[in-house]
Amino acid sequence: MCDRKEQLIGFVYGELDPSETQAFEHHLVSCADCRGELEDLRVTRGQIAAWTPPEPDLDFQIVRGPVPVQPAARRFRIAPAWGLAAAAILVMAIGAAIANLEIRIGSEGLVVRTGWSAPAAVDTALVSAGGAQPIDWKQQSQQLDQRVRQLEQALAANRAGTVRNASASSMTDDEVLQRMRDMLGQSEMRQQRLLASRLTDVSRDFDLKRRTDLMAVDQALVRLQNTSGAEVRQWRDLAQRSVRAAGVMSTSLQK
Amino acid sequence: MPSTDEELVARSMGGDLDSFNQLVVRWERPIYALAYRVIGREEDARDVTQETFLRAFRALKGFKGQAKFSSWLYRITLNLCRDWIRREKRTPVAQAPEGVDIIELAGETTPTESVEALVARHELGRAVGKAMSMLPDEQRTAIILKEYHGLTFQEIADLLDCPLSTVKTRLYQGLTVLRKQLRDAGVEGGFDR
Repeated sequence: MCDRKEQLIGFVYGELDPSETQAFEHHLVSCADCRGELEDLRVTRGQIAAWTPPEPDLDFQIVRGPVPVQPAARRFRIAPAWGLAAAAILVMAIGAAIANLEIRIGSEGLVVRTGWSAPAAVDTALVSAGGAQPIDWKQQSQQLDQRVRQLEQALAANRAGTVRNASASSMTDDEVLQRMRDMLGQSEMRQQRLLASRLTDVSRDFDLKRRTDLMAVDQALVRLQNTSGAEVRQWRDLAQRSVRAAGVMSTSLQK
Repeated sequence: MPSTDEELVARSMGGDLDSFNQLVVRWERPIYALAYRVIGREEDARDVTQETFLRAFRALKGFKGQAKFSSWLYRITLNLCRDWIRREKRTPVAQAPEGVDIIELAGETTPTESVEALVARHELGRAVGKAMSMLPDEQRTAIILKEYHGLTFQEIADLLDCPLSTVKTRLYQGLTVLRKQLRDAGVEGGFDR
Protein backbone atom coordinates (compact mmCIF):
# COMPACT_ATOMS: atom_id res chain seq x y z
CA MET A 1 0.00 0.00 0.00
CA CYS A 2 1.55 3.28 -1.09
CA ASP A 3 1.63 6.09 1.45
CA ARG A 4 1.86 9.03 -0.99
CA LYS A 5 -1.77 10.08 -0.44
CA GLU A 6 -1.09 13.80 -0.15
CA GLN A 7 0.80 13.82 -3.46
CA LEU A 8 -1.96 11.73 -4.99
CA ILE A 9 -4.72 14.12 -3.95
CA GLY A 10 -2.59 17.13 -4.99
CA PHE A 11 -2.03 15.49 -8.37
CA VAL A 12 -5.79 14.76 -8.79
CA TYR A 13 -6.63 18.42 -8.20
CA GLY A 14 -3.63 19.82 -10.06
CA GLU A 15 -2.17 21.56 -7.04
CA LEU A 16 1.34 20.18 -7.16
CA ASP A 17 4.33 22.26 -8.19
CA PRO A 18 5.62 21.43 -11.67
CA SER A 19 8.56 19.60 -10.16
CA GLU A 20 6.30 17.67 -7.78
CA THR A 21 3.98 16.83 -10.66
CA GLN A 22 6.86 15.48 -12.71
CA ALA A 23 8.13 13.45 -9.78
CA PHE A 24 4.68 11.96 -9.10
CA GLU A 25 4.22 11.07 -12.78
CA HIS A 26 7.46 9.12 -12.57
CA HIS A 27 6.12 7.42 -9.43
CA LEU A 28 2.87 6.45 -11.16
CA VAL A 29 4.80 4.52 -13.77
CA SER A 30 6.10 2.17 -11.13
CA CYS A 31 3.19 2.17 -8.56
CA ALA A 32 0.10 0.16 -9.50
CA ASP A 33 -1.69 1.12 -6.25
CA CYS A 34 -1.48 4.81 -7.03
CA ARG A 35 -2.54 4.24 -10.64
CA GLY A 36 -5.59 2.32 -9.45
CA GLU A 37 -6.51 4.92 -6.85
CA LEU A 38 -6.03 7.73 -9.30
CA GLU A 39 -8.49 6.08 -11.67
CA ASP A 40 -11.04 5.50 -8.89
CA LEU A 41 -10.77 9.08 -7.70
CA ARG A 42 -11.34 10.42 -11.20
CA VAL A 43 -14.47 8.29 -11.60
CA THR A 44 -15.77 9.34 -8.21
CA ARG A 45 -15.21 12.99 -9.02
CA GLY A 46 -17.14 12.49 -12.22
CA GLN A 47 -20.02 11.00 -10.28
CA ILE A 48 -19.98 13.81 -7.73
CA ALA A 49 -20.54 16.34 -10.49
CA ALA A 50 -24.02 14.92 -11.07
CA TRP A 51 -25.26 16.23 -7.71
CA THR A 52 -26.78 19.59 -8.46
CA PRO A 53 -28.90 21.71 -6.13
CA PRO A 54 -32.46 22.60 -7.14
CA GLU A 55 -33.04 25.88 -8.91
CA PRO A 56 -34.04 28.25 -6.16
CA ASP A 57 -36.26 31.29 -6.46
CA LEU A 58 -33.97 33.70 -4.67
CA ASP A 59 -33.81 37.31 -5.83
CA PHE A 60 -32.83 38.65 -2.42
CA GLN A 61 -32.36 42.36 -1.99
CA ILE A 62 -31.26 44.47 0.91
CA VAL A 63 -33.62 47.39 1.34
CA ARG A 64 -33.57 50.23 3.76
CA GLY A 65 -36.44 50.23 6.23
CA PRO A 66 -37.92 53.31 7.87
CA VAL A 67 -35.62 54.87 10.45
CA PRO A 68 -36.98 53.88 13.85
CA VAL A 69 -37.82 56.68 16.24
CA GLN A 70 -35.16 56.89 18.88
CA PRO A 71 -36.70 56.57 22.35
CA ALA A 72 -34.06 58.98 23.61
CA ALA A 73 -35.60 61.75 21.52
CA ARG A 74 -38.79 61.49 23.51
CA ARG A 75 -37.04 60.98 26.78
CA PHE A 76 -35.85 64.56 26.89
CA ARG A 77 -39.02 66.20 25.67
CA ILE A 78 -40.27 68.86 28.06
CA ALA A 79 -43.35 67.68 29.91
CA PRO A 80 -46.40 69.95 30.06
CA ALA A 81 -46.83 72.21 33.08
CA TRP A 82 -49.73 70.22 34.49
CA GLY A 83 -47.64 67.09 34.32
CA LEU A 84 -44.82 68.72 36.23
CA ALA A 85 -47.30 70.09 38.78
CA ALA A 86 -48.81 66.63 39.27
CA ALA A 87 -45.34 65.19 39.65
CA ALA A 88 -44.48 67.91 42.19
CA ILE A 89 -47.61 67.10 44.22
CA LEU A 90 -46.76 63.43 44.17
CA VAL A 91 -43.20 64.07 45.25
CA MET A 92 -44.37 66.39 48.05
CA ALA A 93 -46.98 63.91 49.23
CA ILE A 94 -44.42 61.13 49.36
CA GLY A 95 -41.95 63.46 51.06
CA ALA A 96 -44.57 64.50 53.60
CA ALA A 97 -45.38 60.89 54.34
CA ILE A 98 -41.72 60.04 54.79
CA ALA A 99 -40.96 63.09 56.90
CA ASN A 100 -44.12 62.68 59.02
CA LEU A 101 -45.13 66.22 58.16
CA GLU A 102 -47.45 67.91 60.60
CA ILE A 103 -49.26 71.13 59.83
CA ARG A 104 -51.16 72.74 62.69
CA ILE A 105 -52.89 76.02 63.28
CA GLY A 106 -52.71 77.23 66.84
CA SER A 107 -52.31 80.37 68.79
CA GLU A 108 -48.85 80.79 67.24
CA GLY A 109 -50.31 80.66 63.74
CA LEU A 110 -49.57 78.06 61.07
CA VAL A 111 -47.05 75.54 62.33
CA VAL A 112 -45.32 73.10 59.99
CA ARG A 113 -43.28 70.40 61.68
CA THR A 114 -41.40 67.40 60.34
CA GLY A 115 -39.85 64.40 62.06
CA TRP A 116 -41.00 61.41 64.01
CA SER A 117 -40.21 62.40 67.59
CA ALA A 118 -41.92 65.76 67.95
CA PRO A 119 -45.65 64.89 67.79
CA ALA A 120 -45.84 62.98 71.09
CA ALA A 121 -45.08 66.12 73.11
CA VAL A 122 -47.63 68.11 71.19
CA ASP A 123 -50.37 65.53 71.83
CA THR A 124 -49.50 65.38 75.53
CA ALA A 125 -49.67 69.15 75.82
CA LEU A 126 -53.02 69.23 74.13
CA VAL A 127 -54.50 66.54 76.37
CA SER A 128 -53.14 67.93 79.59
CA ALA A 129 -54.01 71.49 78.74
CA GLY A 130 -57.66 70.60 78.56
CA GLY A 131 -58.50 74.26 78.61
CA ALA A 132 -56.12 75.34 75.82
CA GLN A 133 -57.21 78.37 73.94
CA PRO A 134 -60.09 77.39 71.66
CA ILE A 135 -59.50 77.88 67.94
CA ASP A 136 -61.68 80.45 66.32
CA TRP A 137 -62.88 78.27 63.41
CA LYS A 138 -65.00 81.01 61.97
CA GLN A 139 -62.03 83.33 61.74
CA GLN A 140 -59.84 80.59 60.32
CA SER A 141 -62.45 79.78 57.73
CA GLN A 142 -62.71 83.42 56.70
CA GLN A 143 -58.94 83.63 56.39
CA LEU A 144 -58.86 80.52 54.23
CA ASP A 145 -61.63 81.84 52.01
CA GLN A 146 -59.75 85.07 51.61
CA ARG A 147 -56.57 83.18 50.73
CA VAL A 148 -58.36 81.06 48.16
CA ARG A 149 -59.78 84.18 46.54
CA GLN A 150 -56.31 85.71 46.41
CA LEU A 151 -54.94 82.58 44.80
CA GLU A 152 -57.73 82.53 42.24
CA GLN A 153 -57.10 86.16 41.37
CA ALA A 154 -53.39 85.49 41.04
CA LEU A 155 -54.10 82.50 38.83
CA ALA A 156 -56.39 84.52 36.59
CA ALA A 157 -53.77 87.28 36.31
CA ASN A 158 -51.14 84.69 35.55
CA ARG A 159 -53.25 83.15 32.79
CA ALA A 160 -53.83 86.53 31.21
CA GLY A 161 -50.10 87.20 31.34
CA THR A 162 -49.39 83.85 29.76
CA VAL A 163 -51.68 84.57 26.84
CA ARG A 164 -50.15 87.95 26.34
CA ASN A 165 -46.66 86.53 26.43
CA ALA A 166 -47.58 83.74 24.08
CA SER A 167 -48.89 86.20 21.55
CA ALA A 168 -45.82 88.38 21.75
CA SER A 169 -43.53 87.30 18.98
CA SER A 170 -40.63 89.42 20.07
CA MET A 171 -39.60 87.21 23.02
CA THR A 172 -36.27 85.48 22.78
CA ASP A 173 -35.75 81.84 23.57
CA ASP A 174 -34.13 82.69 26.89
CA GLU A 175 -37.09 84.85 27.83
CA VAL A 176 -39.51 82.09 26.89
CA LEU A 177 -37.49 79.62 28.90
CA GLN A 178 -37.37 81.96 31.86
CA ARG A 179 -41.09 82.56 31.57
CA MET A 180 -41.71 78.82 31.53
CA ARG A 181 -39.55 78.40 34.60
CA ASP A 182 -41.46 81.17 36.38
CA MET A 183 -44.75 79.56 35.45
CA LEU A 184 -43.57 76.20 36.66
CA GLY A 185 -42.36 77.78 39.89
CA GLN A 186 -45.67 79.54 40.40
CA SER A 187 -47.54 76.37 39.61
CA GLU A 188 -45.44 74.52 42.13
CA MET A 189 -46.09 77.22 44.75
CA ARG A 190 -49.83 77.03 44.08
CA GLN A 191 -49.75 73.28 44.45
CA GLN A 192 -47.80 73.61 47.68
CA ARG A 193 -50.34 76.07 49.05
CA LEU A 194 -53.17 73.82 48.03
CA LEU A 195 -51.49 70.88 49.67
CA ALA A 196 -50.93 72.92 52.84
CA SER A 197 -54.59 73.92 52.82
CA ARG A 198 -55.71 70.33 52.44
CA LEU A 199 -53.40 69.18 55.17
CA THR A 200 -54.67 71.98 57.39
CA ASP A 201 -58.23 70.80 56.84
CA VAL A 202 -57.24 67.28 57.78
CA SER A 203 -55.46 68.52 60.88
CA ARG A 204 -58.45 70.66 61.85
CA ASP A 205 -60.85 67.76 61.51
CA PHE A 206 -58.56 65.62 63.56
CA ASP A 207 -58.32 68.24 66.32
CA LEU A 208 -62.08 68.66 66.37
CA LYS A 209 -62.60 64.96 66.74
CA ARG A 210 -60.00 64.76 69.47
CA ARG A 211 -61.51 67.63 71.39
CA THR A 212 -64.93 66.01 71.16
CA ASP A 213 -63.48 62.82 72.56
CA LEU A 214 -61.76 64.71 75.36
CA MET A 215 -65.00 66.39 76.29
CA ALA A 216 -66.70 63.03 76.39
CA VAL A 217 -63.94 61.72 78.62
CA ASP A 218 -64.27 64.75 80.91
CA GLN A 219 -68.00 64.21 81.24
CA ALA A 220 -67.46 60.57 82.02
CA LEU A 221 -64.93 61.47 84.71
CA VAL A 222 -67.35 63.97 86.25
CA ARG A 223 -70.05 61.35 86.29
CA LEU A 224 -67.64 58.93 87.88
CA GLN A 225 -66.61 61.48 90.49
CA ASN A 226 -70.24 62.26 91.30
CA THR A 227 -71.02 58.59 91.61
CA SER A 228 -68.03 58.05 93.89
CA GLY A 229 -69.03 61.00 96.10
CA ALA A 230 -72.52 59.62 96.65
CA GLU A 231 -71.14 56.25 97.62
CA VAL A 232 -68.76 57.86 100.13
CA ARG A 233 -71.61 59.76 101.65
CA GLN A 234 -73.62 56.55 101.95
CA TRP A 235 -70.71 54.78 103.65
CA ARG A 236 -70.20 57.73 105.97
CA ASP A 237 -73.87 57.79 106.93
CA LEU A 238 -73.77 54.08 107.49
CA ALA A 239 -70.72 54.43 109.72
CA GLN A 240 -72.22 57.26 111.67
CA ARG A 241 -75.40 55.23 112.21
CA SER A 242 -73.31 52.30 113.35
CA VAL A 243 -71.42 54.49 115.80
CA ARG A 244 -74.64 55.90 117.12
CA ALA A 245 -76.13 52.44 117.43
CA ALA A 246 -73.05 51.24 119.24
CA GLY A 247 -73.29 54.18 121.68
CA VAL A 248 -76.95 53.37 122.37
CA MET A 249 -76.14 49.74 123.06
CA SER A 250 -73.28 50.66 125.40
CA THR A 251 -75.52 52.98 127.36
CA SER A 252 -78.18 50.32 127.63
CA LEU A 253 -75.72 47.81 128.97
CA GLN A 254 -74.36 50.22 131.55
CA LYS A 255 -77.84 50.79 132.73
CA MET B 1 -16.93 45.92 -17.76
CA PRO B 2 -18.51 44.67 -14.55
CA SER B 3 -17.10 45.85 -11.28
CA THR B 4 -14.98 43.49 -9.20
CA ASP B 5 -16.10 42.27 -5.82
CA GLU B 6 -13.57 44.53 -4.16
CA GLU B 7 -14.90 47.61 -5.96
CA LEU B 8 -18.49 46.76 -5.08
CA VAL B 9 -17.51 46.12 -1.47
CA ALA B 10 -15.74 49.48 -1.29
CA ARG B 11 -18.78 51.28 -2.69
CA SER B 12 -21.09 49.35 -0.34
CA MET B 13 -19.01 50.41 2.62
CA GLY B 14 -19.53 53.96 1.45
CA GLY B 15 -23.28 53.47 1.79
CA ASP B 16 -24.13 52.45 -1.78
CA LEU B 17 -26.91 49.91 -1.34
CA ASP B 18 -27.11 49.13 -5.06
CA SER B 19 -23.51 47.95 -5.06
CA PHE B 20 -24.21 45.56 -2.23
CA ASN B 21 -27.26 44.25 -4.04
CA GLN B 22 -25.06 43.58 -7.07
CA LEU B 23 -22.91 41.44 -4.81
CA VAL B 24 -26.05 39.66 -3.63
CA VAL B 25 -27.10 38.89 -7.21
CA ARG B 26 -23.60 37.70 -8.03
CA TRP B 27 -23.21 35.39 -5.03
CA GLU B 28 -26.68 34.27 -3.98
CA ARG B 29 -26.69 31.10 -6.08
CA PRO B 30 -23.24 29.83 -5.04
CA ILE B 31 -24.13 30.58 -1.42
CA TYR B 32 -27.45 28.80 -1.77
CA ALA B 33 -25.72 25.81 -3.42
CA LEU B 34 -23.22 25.63 -0.57
CA ALA B 35 -25.95 25.82 2.07
CA TYR B 36 -28.10 23.28 0.28
CA ARG B 37 -25.28 20.76 -0.08
CA VAL B 38 -24.22 21.16 3.54
CA ILE B 39 -27.64 20.95 5.19
CA GLY B 40 -29.62 19.28 2.42
CA ARG B 41 -32.95 21.12 2.76
CA GLU B 42 -34.21 23.62 0.24
CA GLU B 43 -36.19 25.93 2.51
CA ASP B 44 -33.56 25.96 5.22
CA ALA B 45 -30.89 26.60 2.61
CA ARG B 46 -32.90 29.62 1.44
CA ASP B 47 -33.10 30.91 4.99
CA VAL B 48 -29.38 30.42 5.51
CA THR B 49 -28.66 32.25 2.25
CA GLN B 50 -30.82 35.19 3.23
CA GLU B 51 -29.30 35.34 6.70
CA THR B 52 -25.81 35.16 5.22
CA PHE B 53 -26.33 38.34 3.22
CA LEU B 54 -28.05 40.11 6.07
CA ARG B 55 -25.15 39.34 8.38
CA ALA B 56 -22.64 40.32 5.73
CA PHE B 57 -24.42 43.63 5.21
CA ARG B 58 -24.52 44.38 8.92
CA ALA B 59 -20.88 43.39 9.41
CA LEU B 60 -19.60 45.06 6.27
CA LYS B 61 -17.78 47.77 8.23
CA GLY B 62 -15.76 45.03 9.91
CA PHE B 63 -14.68 43.43 6.63
CA LYS B 64 -11.03 44.39 6.32
CA GLY B 65 -10.38 42.69 3.02
CA GLN B 66 -7.68 40.27 4.20
CA ALA B 67 -9.68 37.47 2.58
CA LYS B 68 -11.69 37.50 -0.60
CA PHE B 69 -15.25 38.67 -0.24
CA SER B 70 -16.46 35.26 -1.43
CA SER B 71 -14.38 33.50 1.24
CA TRP B 72 -15.88 35.80 3.84
CA LEU B 73 -19.37 34.92 2.62
CA TYR B 74 -18.51 31.22 2.65
CA ARG B 75 -17.33 31.50 6.24
CA ILE B 76 -20.56 33.17 7.32
CA THR B 77 -22.57 30.53 5.48
CA LEU B 78 -20.67 27.62 6.99
CA ASN B 79 -21.07 29.07 10.47
CA LEU B 80 -24.82 29.39 9.92
CA CYS B 81 -24.97 25.84 8.58
CA ARG B 82 -23.06 24.59 11.61
CA ASP B 83 -25.52 26.41 13.87
CA TRP B 84 -28.41 24.86 11.95
CA ILE B 85 -27.02 21.34 12.25
CA ARG B 86 -26.35 21.85 15.97
CA ARG B 87 -29.81 23.30 16.51
CA GLU B 88 -31.60 20.61 14.58
CA LYS B 89 -29.36 17.93 16.09
CA ARG B 90 -29.61 15.83 13.01
CA THR B 91 -27.61 14.65 10.10
CA PRO B 92 -28.07 16.65 6.95
CA VAL B 93 -30.47 15.01 4.59
CA ALA B 94 -30.17 15.28 0.86
CA GLN B 95 -33.64 15.99 -0.42
CA ALA B 96 -34.59 14.70 -3.79
CA PRO B 97 -37.89 14.72 -5.60
CA GLU B 98 -39.76 11.45 -5.28
CA GLY B 99 -40.55 11.22 -8.96
CA VAL B 100 -38.70 12.58 -11.94
CA ASP B 101 -40.81 14.59 -14.32
CA ILE B 102 -39.64 13.62 -17.80
CA ILE B 103 -41.14 16.73 -19.37
CA GLU B 104 -39.38 19.01 -16.92
CA LEU B 105 -36.16 17.15 -17.43
CA ALA B 106 -36.49 17.45 -21.17
CA GLY B 107 -36.34 21.21 -20.76
CA GLU B 108 -32.99 20.90 -19.04
CA THR B 109 -31.31 18.79 -21.68
CA THR B 110 -28.34 20.10 -23.52
CA PRO B 111 -28.21 19.69 -27.27
CA THR B 112 -25.90 16.72 -26.91
CA GLU B 113 -27.71 15.01 -24.01
CA SER B 114 -30.66 12.70 -24.47
CA VAL B 115 -33.57 12.52 -22.03
CA GLU B 116 -32.40 9.05 -20.98
CA ALA B 117 -28.96 10.40 -20.14
CA LEU B 118 -30.53 13.24 -18.22
CA VAL B 119 -32.67 10.86 -16.17
CA ALA B 120 -29.56 8.80 -15.43
CA ARG B 121 -27.75 11.95 -14.32
CA HIS B 122 -30.58 12.85 -11.93
CA GLU B 123 -30.58 9.36 -10.48
CA LEU B 124 -26.84 9.54 -10.02
CA GLY B 125 -27.22 12.96 -8.39
CA ARG B 126 -29.69 11.55 -5.89
CA ALA B 127 -27.32 8.69 -5.06
CA VAL B 128 -24.40 11.08 -4.62
CA GLY B 129 -26.47 13.39 -2.41
CA LYS B 130 -27.47 10.47 -0.22
CA ALA B 131 -23.89 9.21 0.03
CA MET B 132 -22.60 12.70 0.81
CA SER B 133 -25.11 13.09 3.64
CA MET B 134 -23.56 10.08 5.35
CA LEU B 135 -20.05 11.53 5.36
CA PRO B 136 -18.67 13.20 8.49
CA ASP B 137 -19.24 16.98 8.42
CA GLU B 138 -15.55 17.83 7.99
CA GLN B 139 -15.06 15.52 5.01
CA ARG B 140 -18.31 16.57 3.36
CA THR B 141 -17.53 20.28 3.77
CA ALA B 142 -14.02 19.85 2.35
CA ILE B 143 -15.33 17.97 -0.68
CA ILE B 144 -18.11 20.52 -1.30
CA LEU B 145 -15.72 23.47 -1.13
CA LYS B 146 -13.23 21.76 -3.42
CA GLU B 147 -15.50 20.04 -5.94
CA TYR B 148 -18.34 22.54 -6.31
CA HIS B 149 -16.72 25.84 -5.43
CA GLY B 150 -13.22 25.28 -6.71
CA LEU B 151 -11.38 26.57 -3.65
CA THR B 152 -7.70 25.78 -3.31
CA PHE B 153 -6.35 23.60 -0.50
CA GLN B 154 -5.03 26.71 1.18
CA GLU B 155 -8.33 28.58 0.93
CA ILE B 156 -10.16 25.62 2.45
CA ALA B 157 -7.60 25.38 5.24
CA ASP B 158 -8.06 29.09 5.99
CA LEU B 159 -11.82 28.77 5.91
CA LEU B 160 -11.97 25.74 8.15
CA ASP B 161 -9.11 26.86 10.39
CA CYS B 162 -7.13 23.66 9.94
CA PRO B 163 -3.72 22.71 8.53
CA LEU B 164 -3.21 22.16 4.81
CA SER B 165 -2.38 18.49 5.31
CA THR B 166 -5.66 18.00 7.19
CA VAL B 167 -7.57 19.33 4.21
CA LYS B 168 -5.84 16.86 1.89
CA THR B 169 -6.49 14.00 4.30
CA ARG B 170 -10.17 14.89 4.64
CA LEU B 171 -10.52 15.09 0.87
CA TYR B 172 -8.80 11.78 0.26
CA GLN B 173 -10.70 9.94 2.99
CA GLY B 174 -14.02 11.51 2.01
CA LEU B 175 -13.64 10.62 -1.65
CA THR B 176 -12.59 7.09 -0.76
CA VAL B 177 -15.64 6.53 1.47
CA LEU B 178 -17.89 8.10 -1.15
CA ARG B 179 -16.55 5.79 -3.85
CA LYS B 180 -17.23 2.76 -1.66
CA GLN B 181 -20.77 3.87 -0.81
CA LEU B 182 -21.63 4.55 -4.44
CA ARG B 183 -20.25 1.20 -5.44
CA ASP B 184 -22.28 -0.48 -2.69
CA ALA B 185 -25.37 1.37 -3.96
CA GLY B 186 -24.82 -0.14 -7.37
CA VAL B 187 -23.68 3.07 -9.00
CA GLU B 188 -21.03 2.46 -11.59
CA GLY B 189 -19.42 4.76 -14.04
CA GLY B 190 -20.18 8.45 -14.33
CA PHE B 191 -18.41 11.32 -15.96
CA ASP B 192 -14.65 11.37 -16.22
CA ARG B 193 -12.92 14.47 -14.91
